[in-house]
Amino acid sequence: MKRRRRISYAKYGYIFSIPFVLTFLIFSLYPTLYTAFIGFTDLKGLLKTSFSVLEDPFQNFRLILNNASFKLSLANTLKIWVMNFIPQILLALLLTAWFTSNHNKIKGQGLFKVVFYLPNIITAATIAILFNVLFGYPMGPINDILVKTGALSQPYYFLTDKTASQVIVAFIQFWMWYGYTMIILISGVLGINPEIFEAADIDGANDVQTFFLITLPNLRTILLFVLITSMIGGLNMFDIPRLFNLGQPGNATLTTSLFIYNQAFSGSYLYNRAAAASMIVFAIIAVFSLLIFLLMRDKNLAREKKEARQLARQLKQGNFLKKGGGQ
Amino acid sequence: MMKKTLSLLVALSLLMSLGLPALAGEKQTINLWSFTDEVPTMVEKYLEFNPDFAAKYDVKVTIIATTDGAYQPALDQALAAGGADAPDIYAAEAAFVLKYTQGDASSFAAPYKDLGIDLSALETADIAQYTVDIGTNPEGNLVALGYQATGGAFIYRRSIAQEVFGTDDPTEIGARIGPGWDKFFEAAAELKAKGYGIVSGDGDVWHAVENSSEAGWVVDGKLNLDPNREAFLDISMQLKEEDFYNDTQDWTDAWFADMKGEGAKGVFGYFGPAWLINYVMADNSGGSAPGEGTYGDWAVCEPPVGFFWGGTWVLANAASEKKEAVGEIINWITLDASEEGLQYHWANGTLHGEGGTKDSVASGAVMAKSDGSLEFLGGQNMFDVFVPANAFANGKNLTQYDETINRFWRDSVRMYTSGQISREEAVEQFKQNVADNLDVIVE
Repeated sequence: MKRRRRISYAKYGYIFSIPFVLTFLIFSLYPTLYTAFIGFTDLKGLLKTSFSVLEDPFQNFRLILNNASFKLSLANTLKIWVMNFIPQILLALLLTAWFTSNHNKIKGQGLFKVVFYLPNIITAATIAILFNVLFGYPMGPINDILVKTGALSQPYYFLTDKTASQVIVAFIQFWMWYGYTMIILISGVLGINPEIFEAADIDGANDVQTFFLITLPNLRTILLFVLITSMIGGLNMFDIPRLFNLGQPGNATLTTSLFIYNQAFSGSYLYNRAAAASMIVFAIIAVFSLLIFLLMRDKNLAREKKEARQLARQLKQGNFLKKGGGQ
Repeated sequence: MMKKTLSLLVALSLLMSLGLPALAGEKQTINLWSFTDEVPTMVEKYLEFNPDFAAKYDVKVTIIATTDGAYQPALDQALAAGGADAPDIYAAEAAFVLKYTQGDASSFAAPYKDLGIDLSALETADIAQYTVDIGTNPEGNLVALGYQATGGAFIYRRSIAQEVFGTDDPTEIGARIGPGWDKFFEAAAELKAKGYGIVSGDGDVWHAVENSSEAGWVVDGKLNLDPNREAFLDISMQLKEEDFYNDTQDWTDAWFADMKGEGAKGVFGYFGPAWLINYVMADNSGGSAPGEGTYGDWAVCEPPVGFFWGGTWVLANAASEKKEAVGEIINWITLDASEEGLQYHWANGTLHGEGGTKDSVASGAVMAKSDGSLEFLGGQNMFDVFVPANAFANGKNLTQYDETINRFWRDSVRMYTSGQISREEAVEQFKQNVADNLDVIVE
C-alpha cells in the first residue's frame, strides 16, 4: 500500500532558529573565544594598536593565580555566596511549605508573593547605594537608630569593618533573591502530582513529614536548577559589591568579577590579565556545575539506564550469535 | 480605497521627516562630550552671543556623569572609534585630566596652536601656572586649559572665629592656622578647648596634603610613597585621637550636615576652592540669605598649605575636521580675558544675566577686574584670597593613575583611623592594591 509522503516541516524549525544562532555566534561565542585568546597575549593599555602572543603563553594565567587580590576575591566570593545562599534557600523552602500546604490555606497569597518578589525588581544600583547611605557614619539611619535606642554608645563605622561589610553585601543579595527562589520552588511544587499528596494524607502524614518525604525529593530537579543558577549568579556577583563600596574596605567585598573589572578598567587597562582571570573563573564555574550535576543526579535512574543499555547490548550479541553461528 | 490612501500618506510623511533635516541647510555638527552640563551651557551661550557662528554650526552634546567611573570608558571608546561621531571638544576633570594630556590618551588631543589659538594670551590673561602645567603634553605643546581656577583656601566660620580667636579678619586667621601643619594643630587645640572641631573629616585636609608632595604617586613606573603623603596617616590619626574633627567622610550626609553646623560638634572650617563655596556649601548651609542657617557666616583665608582641588580642562580632538570652529569656542572659554569672554561672565556670575553664581577663573587678569564679593562670605571679595592661592597650586606632582591610587590610599587610611588595621598593615594593604591592579612596579 502506497504511503502518502508526509510533508516535513522540520526545515522551518531550523530556519526560524537561524536568527538566534547567528546572534549567539556573533555576540556570545565569538567574544568568549576572543577573550580566551587575549589571555595569551600582551594586549594592554588604552590604545590597542597591535598585540602579540606572549613567548610564555601561560604567563598571564600564572600572574593571576599568584595575585594575592585574586585569591582573596575567590575566597570572598565563596564566603559571601554561602552567607547569602543558605538563608535564602531555607527561607524560600519555608515559605514554599507554608504557601503550598493543603491544610492551611493562607489568605492573600497573591499579595504576599508580590511583596516578596518586589526587591528583585528594584535595580541593584539603587539598592547598593541605598544601603551605603543607610550605614553612613557618623550620621546615618542605622547608626542613629542604634545610638538612640541605646544599643550602641557611639556610632559604629560599619563601612570600614570587613566582616560587617561582607554580611551586609550577603544580606542584600539574600533580600533581593529569596522572593524569586520562592516563586520558582512554588511552581515546582505545583508540578507534583496531587494524587501523591492525597495518598500521603490518607496514610496520615502530617505537614512536616509530607514536606520532607514527598515534596523535597520530588523537587530535586527544581532544586538543582535553583542551586546552579544561584551559584552562577553568585560567582559573578558584581553590581552590588561595586556600587556598595567599590570592593572596600580593604578588598573585603572584592568579588572575582569586580577584580576582573578592576584589572581592565582601573587605570592600566590590563586587558590580557583580565581575560586570563575571566577564563580561570569560567573554568571554576564549569567545574562546580559539573560537580553539582554529579552529586544531584538521580542515582536510581542512572543505574536503570545503565542496566537497560547492558541488556540491549547482550541481546544484540545474542542475536548475532544465533544468526551467524548456528552450526 | 481609504486604507490605501491613508497608508500612502503615512509613508510619505515618514519619508518627509527623514528628508527634511537634510534639506535644512549645510550646518556642520560639533560633537561635545562632557560630564556635567557646565561646558554645554557655556557653548550654548556662545551660540547665543554669536548668531553667525550658530548659523554655520550645530552642537551635539553628550553628557555622561562621572559617577561609578562611567564617563572615561565611554569617552575613550568614542575617541578610539573615530569617525563622524567622535568628540570634537571634550572635557576632563582634574581627577583624570592627566590621562588625556600627558598619559595614554594624550595622542588624541590637538595642540592649541593647531586650532589657531594665539598663545600669547597666556601671559596677558595671567593664566594660573598649574593649569598650564597640567595641560601641557609630553612634547611641550599646550593641549588643554581649564576655565576655572581651583586653587584652595581655608573657608571658616566667622562666629566661631570671633568666639575662639577674638577676630574674624582673614589675614589674622590665616596667620593663626598656618603656615604649616604644626600651627594648624595648635589652632585645633584652641578650638577643641571651646568644644569645636577644626575640620569636618580627614578628607578635608587630604587635598592640601596631596598637593604638598614633592613628586607624584608614580616615578619612572614605580610606586612612590612621598613622605608628605605618608604623613597623612599620622595627620588623620592625630585628628581622630585628639577629637579635632567629626570623623566624617567627604560627600556623605554627615559632611554636608557640618556645613549647617548640625554635626556632633560645630566645625570651624573646610578646605576648598571657590567652587566648593558656591556650588556645595551655599546649597548646604541651611539657608539662602544672610541670617538663615550658616549663610553669610563664612569667610576665606590663606590655607596652611597651598593646594588645588578639582577643575575642568577643555580639550580638542586632533582628528577633528572643524578645528577653526573648535578653536574659536575654546579660545572664548579659556583664554579670552575681555569682558565678552566666558571667564568674565563666569567670574561675575553674569552668564545667565545678573545675579548668577560667581566662581574663580583661570585668568588672574579677569579676577583682578571682577567683583568677587559674596553675601555668603559676609560681603568678602573672594578673589582677594583666591588669586594668590592659585599661585600655590602645584601641577607637577600628578599622574594619570591618581584617581585609582588615591582611592586605595584613602581607603587604607580610613581603616587605620577607625582602628581596624595597624599603620604598617595600612601601608602594606595600599601597596598590595596598587601592585595587584595597576601596571606599576611596587617595591
